[in-house]
Amino acid sequence: MARDSKHDILFEPIQIGPKVLRNRFYQVPHCIGAGSDKPGFQAANRSLKVEGGWAAVNTEYLSIHPESDDTHRLSARLWDEGDVRNLRAMTDAVHKHDGLCGVEMWYGGSHAPCMESRCTPRGPSQYASEFETMTYCKEMDLDDIQMVQGYYVDAAKRARDAGFDIVYVYGAHSYLPLQFLSPYYNKRTDGYGGSLENRARFWIETLEKVKQAVGDDCAIATRFAVDTLIADAGVEVERDALKFVKLADDFVDVWDVNVGDIAEWGEDAGPSRFYLQGHQLPWQRFIKQVSKKPVLGVGRFTDPDKMAEVIRSGQLDIIGAARPSIADPFLPEKINQGRVDDIRTCIGCNVCISRWEIGGPPMICTQNATSGEEYRRGWHPEKFPKAGSDDSFLVVGSGPSGSECARVLMERGYTVHLVDSGEKIGGSTNSIATLPGLGEWGYHRDYREVQLDKLVKKNKDSQIALGVKPLTVDDCLEYGADKIVIATGASWNTDGNNALTHDPVEGIDTSTPTHLTPEQVLEGSKPIGKKVLILNCDPYYMAPSLAQKLTEDGHQVTVASGVSLGNYMHFTLEAPNMHRMMHELGIEVIGDVWASKAEANRIQLYPIFGDGYRREYRGPGKLPRRENTHFDWHEFDSLVVCTGRHSNTELYEGLKTRKDEWAENDVKGVYVIGDAWAPKLMADATFDGQRLAREIELDDPQHPKPYRREVAVWGAPHMPGDTFEIEYES
Amino acid sequence: MKILVPVKQVGIIDEDYEIRDDGKNVDVDFLDYEINEWDNYSWELALNLQETYGEAVEIVPLTVGPDEAEDVLLNCLAKGGERGIRVWDDALVDSDSMAIAQVIAKVAEHENADYVLTGTLSSDHSFAATGMCVAGLLNWAHAAVVSKVDITPDAQQITVNRELEAGIEEEITVESPAVLSIQLGINEPRYASLRGIKQAKAKPVEVMSHKDFGLTDAEVGEMGSLSKVRKMYAPEHSQAELIEGTVAEQAKRIAEIVKELKGDT
Ligand SMILES: Cc1cc2nc3c(=O)[nH]c(=O)nc-3n(C[C@H](O)[C@H](O)[C@H](O)COP(=O)(O)O)c2cc1C
Ligand code: SF4
Repeated sequence: MARDSKHDILFEPIQIGPKVLRNRFYQVPHCIGAGSDKPGFQAANRSLKVEGGWAAVNTEYLSIHPESDDTHRLSARLWDEGDVRNLRAMTDAVHKHDGLCGVEMWYGGSHAPCMESRCTPRGPSQYASEFETMTYCKEMDLDDIQMVQGYYVDAAKRARDAGFDIVYVYGAHSYLPLQFLSPYYNKRTDGYGGSLENRARFWIETLEKVKQAVGDDCAIATRFAVDTLIADAGVEVERDALKFVKLADDFVDVWDVNVGDIAEWGEDAGPSRFYLQGHQLPWQRFIKQVSKKPVLGVGRFTDPDKMAEVIRSGQLDIIGAARPSIADPFLPEKINQGRVDDIRTCIGCNVCISRWEIGGPPMICTQNATSGEEYRRGWHPEKFPKAGSDDSFLVVGSGPSGSECARVLMERGYTVHLVDSGEKIGGSTNSIATLPGLGEWGYHRDYREVQLDKLVKKNKDSQIALGVKPLTVDDCLEYGADKIVIATGASWNTDGNNALTHDPVEGIDTSTPTHLTPEQVLEGSKPIGKKVLILNCDPYYMAPSLAQKLTEDGHQVTVASGVSLGNYMHFTLEAPNMHRMMHELGIEVIGDVWASKAEANRIQLYPIFGDGYRREYRGPGKLPRRENTHFDWHEFDSLVVCTGRHSNTELYEGLKTRKDEWAENDVKGVYVIGDAWAPKLMADATFDGQRLAREIELDDPQHPKPYRREVAVWGAPHMPGDTFEIEYES
Repeated sequence: MKILVPVKQVGIIDEDYEIRDDGKNVDVDFLDYEINEWDNYSWELALNLQETYGEAVEIVPLTVGPDEAEDVLLNCLAKGGERGIRVWDDALVDSDSMAIAQVIAKVAEHENADYVLTGTLSSDHSFAATGMCVAGLLNWAHAAVVSKVDITPDAQQITVNRELEAGIEEEITVESPAVLSIQLGINEPRYASLRGIKQAKAKPVEVMSHKDFGLTDAEVGEMGSLSKVRKMYAPEHSQAELIEGTVAEQAKRIAEIVKELKGDT
């Protein structure tokens, strides 16, 4: 199919300094967990996007000097020749596909804890970071300013030598240039503090020096948080940003503008729970009014109509994207080919971000199971190896894992029957997407539904069977499939079993009228009383989401939690606004408690740290501490039991115990994936499905084959020409 | 007791499609094919009868269509039945319900069928006529839009429920042999298993022409049809517009549209 003419504007080239972007799709800097130390990962992930149509791709934030060391979090680094060599892998790979390649030069100030380098970061004034609250910076004197600006220049030269086309001075997310600009950080009274002109000086001088050093060869970009969302305590778009842009415009070839800071950077990388596509435009749109240079901006742009509209209406010149490019590295190419319905739309869950926040692990994506697996497993998101046999498959369960497995098996050319008792593909996603703010999570299902519908038409022996009676072990054995994949998901515990005690809670029983599982709440299968208590031991979204839903439905909700409520939502950047929401809705949270027993309308809670803090050996059968004596009864009309999940293993175990009947039924193998294997993130369940489908020809496809590791190699020194023996100072 | 179940391969139109150059049908390049939805129900009814009465019941799917249409027979045979019949000849192109019914009626006679179970209608042309034409040609009893039926082998009479307007049902008795056109929802059609699909490939499908039953070319195809397609086209749709912007902007746009419609721009 041909491109829709209304999207033509997205494919018009645009000049940025000495370089030309071939179209308006631009991957802004974002972490993937590769940095400079996993050059293969870095090169494969970014070059694949250029193959998928992005005009430019960037590294993640890239440290210019050991004084800006973010360990435990993983940035790229351009400190020395060793880093130049490793990053060249990325620029070479990107240039093969005719894309531009950028670095985001980063100096963190007090936000960089320097846990590896043990350096002392510098900043405009001395303060403890509100993000890394243990870390203080040293207030720069004029020598320090010269020195740090020199770090930018040296790093820019190394970037040019490594083959980069775009060099950023990174001043969004509250990093150093913005710390100078913002009165929230900058308390100086010299020529670098006070008036806006003074506060802008550090940034503008740095841009000028970098431009002078590499401006003939590289486009100079700057990332600028045009509003830090704390009103006049920080940077405000109309008061400060417009002036700053005018002052700096001559030294910038392209503006990359967003909002927010680092401690709450979910205001930039807005989760779909709280923010829609284009949510930053009310701030970003001002910049083009004062700049003569191209302006690019992000806002989880996934819809080509919206992108075209944003450019046509003069709000931005270039569509910046992080997450949409992660979820679908081929997004531009699909728009170009008029295959808009094939786009794997980012669901805005921010699980990609969670891995950076946790500090170190490679990025994963809920929608795109190949994300992060490009190099180490050789997975291409749009290309699949041909089927290695004539085997036919029965996949039981069409949730995230089963639908992904069926999709990839079909893409590979296998005959697949995907069977589900639900009326719609998607399994648990169908109900999860009905929770407040989680509607866009349904895109996970929608993508697979559309693809499966297309694939099933290409092979008349394949079939999607929905709304069928749950299959029994006999049904599966007699089905006539060579291989059976069990993806029957997981259920919430009905008896209060939980991660703290690993046992049920006495008296909890969701087959009774006043105790409910989350599924029962979502199905609306039981009446729920006015006063609801949610007993929580799950670290993710279910308890906060149910609390919101039930409160909005008119119930009075209390959450009693044995684990930090919504803990994983810190990593997905959903936590700050989740807490605001809970506060605003008046949802009471009782923290650090667990339940000793429950009755129809009340539950007994105890403080989890209620036992004695002194530990001593007291003999067999005795706790080595004083026992807790503090118990409180709490009354409720309905109790929601959000304490843990368990795999639905009946079918898999039933098939395993009848292994001796496999051969007579021509069954060659039975496998289990996703939550049915063990409850996990939707991203990991999706990964399971993709992995099994790609590795199905192995002797034991149930268990992943080793992936290609990128690690420091003994005998190969990081710095060219260096030694690697153990040596001490003498 | 033998039950003949005529099934049809219908075209599913892509979102973007074009009309054939002669303006009488959709261009086949824009069609996907599948079994007519109603025929899943009539075949399921036959399968259920066969499962209930075993050897006393033979069920045979029949399709009138070219090579590719054999897929729908495989579709049926993957769920049950032992053999299928496909009738085709180039002279059958552009047959309407009546012309197709000529063929079905002949097969029913040839097979000594006791019942012919058709779908109430086919989703592509929606005439809802084929079944009743077959009954007319055979001069058999008939019931259309059947929502419930109780067939037993050797019964002289059967009871059927027919779906009427406004949710009203009518219960009638029908003499055997009979032609019934089966309505959606009468049962829950099963899906084929992989085993069934593999086995279906080994089941015989007898391929015949209308001539094998003594029908002439003049009795089928366009010539044998009572109706003729003169023209196929997409009717013009009114233009809907999503009005965005502030309340004031929206009001302004609405006023503009009213003016445009009144013609005084
Ligand atoms: C996994 C991930 C890592 C990110 N890392 C960086 C980074 O290193 N530097 C940066 O300036 N922004 C980073 N961001 C923020 C993005 O560049 C972008 O501003 C934000 O995600 C909003 O764009 P989007 O809505 O297109 O995702 C990251 C975003 C994601 C999703
Ligand atoms: S992990 Fe979630 S938010 Fe991140 S790119 Fe994938 S779908 Fe989007």
